[in-house]
Amino acid sequence: MSEAAPAAAVLAPAALGQLQLVRLLQLASPALPVGAYTYSQGLEWAVECGAVRDEADAGRWIGDLLSHGAGRFEAPLLARLVQAWAVGEDAEVARLNDDFVCSRETSELRAETLQMGYSLVRLLTELDAFAGLPGWRERLRGIDSPAFPTAWAAAAAAWNIDAGAALAAYLWAWLENQVMAAVKAVPLGQSAGQRLLAGLGARLPELAAAALALPEAEWSNFTPGLAIASSRHETQYTRLFRS
Amino acid sequence: MNAVVECPSLTPSAHGWQAELHLGFRRRGDRSVLAERRHVGPLVVQRALYPEGGEVCHAIVVHPPAGIVGGDSLTLNVDVGAGAHALLTTPGAGKWYRSEGRAGRLSQRIAVAEGGVCEWLPQESIVYEGAVGELLTEVELAGDACFIGSEMSCFGRTGSGERFGRGTLALATRIRRDGKSLWLERGRVEGGGSLMDSPVGLGGHPVVGTLLAASPRVDGELLAACRGIAPAVGEGAVTLLPGLLVARYLGPGCEPGRIWFNRLWAVLRPALAGRPLAIPRIWNT
Repeated sequence: MSEAAPAAAVLAPAALGQLQLVRLLQLASPALPVGAYTYSQGLEWAVECGAVRDEADAGRWIGDLLSHGAGRFEAPLLARLVQAWAVGEDAEVARLNDDFVCSRETSELRAETLQMGYSLVRLLTELDAFAGLPGWRERLRGIDSPAFPTAWAAAAAAWNIDAGAALAAYLWAWLENQVMAAVKAVPLGQSAGQRLLAGLGARLPELAAAALALPEAEWSNFTPGLAIASSRHETQYTRLFRS
Repeated sequence: MNAVVECPSLTPSAHGWQAELHLGFRRRGDRSVLAERRHVGPLVVQRALYPEGGEVCHAIVVHPPAGIVGGDSLTLNVDVGAGAHALLTTPGAGKWYRSEGRAGRLSQRIAVAEGGVCEWLPQESIVYEGAVGELLTEVELAGDACFIGSEMSCFGRTGSGERFGRGTLALATRIRRDGKSLWLERGRVEGGGSLMDSPVGLGGHPVVGTLLAASPRVDGELLAACRGIAPAVGEGAVTLLPGLLVARYLGPGCEPGRIWFNRLWAVLRPALAGRPLAIPRIWNT
């Protein structure tokens, strides 16, 4: 990296400024045009096969993924990515990106993160909001097959958001998307969806703190039930979602 | 390799067995030969076998203590040279014995050169309640090398009704081709932990298995053929990543998983290694 790294890689979450809060809300919004709402990450198959039939089942499925999958691999990796982008360690960004892509254990899960990553890189490199940040377009374009968390972490770092706050917001966006998929697929009422978001959302600060501290040797993406559900979804006859 | 000779290993030390086995397979004319075989400690191959003719060298990796206890450290290095074809298996179920706290470790490193084929098909591992283990697998492929590998673990001695209520098995597997990672899986199964019963985890099943077939030749047609085969008992599914076909099994016992993997292997082997199925005789004993 030739450009100077953005300052303030690590801020205390309490120091999140109002502009940074607004930036995070924009990044975590379902309005971010990357098509997240078209993916269920295997949940649609779990509904199809009867593993998820109601609000309680959906809460368990999503909560267990937070405990064992997204929260233990994607989350600590995202935090490392935010830090690596912020201090200009582009080789580390590339390494983490490659590890994330090859850790996606099915065709659909891999295609999902690559499509969303591609869409977000395009968006970020076209946005004027990034024009004031020297080098970011080139740095983003330099990543081979960018995954979604890689591109998302770049935006968080470019906007000077610390890893802890970014992580909580990223997990929230993931959670909201999963719960909305459950609302459509099970289906559940809107109140049930909000109850799930409130209950599972309450776990996010602890999950984010644990993910920030988790050494890489303990990252875990071993969720064979999810892998089977996602593989089976690839041949599901009638479906709303792309994963 | 030479450095490990210094490790006293004829008897298990206070730190457990330290064993290392290096196997080098080479293509000589139209034969695959076991050209290098060095070991320290109790991890051996007695001889090369040729049950399907000279083109494929079979080897049975024997660990005489028949199981891993806390403090053991076993390393298996397999190097398959250009154009050589090796099939490796084990003589029976491996075991991760109960530990007093220290971890046992099995480290498997497999390198396959251009045009080579390595089939790494150990029999299942039984993870005793209270076992603490680490299973590390690293595969390095070059050019169009082919790797077909399987792992199957049974958590608890289900035959005697044992559940895996305590202990840990940590898993880490990475496959690279020409330096680029195709596959990375890291996991940690905690005895009595929520992953065991979770629908996203083992779903209450004691047995979990993964079959990986890495080759530039895997394609949608092969995926469809594999998807046409289902396990008789338990849950199984197949997916296709770039250059890698992945089959997963969850079920009540190893037998139905093994039968399903063998049926998939019967489809994969001719397509990827150009040879018909050849079940090692030791699996039937």
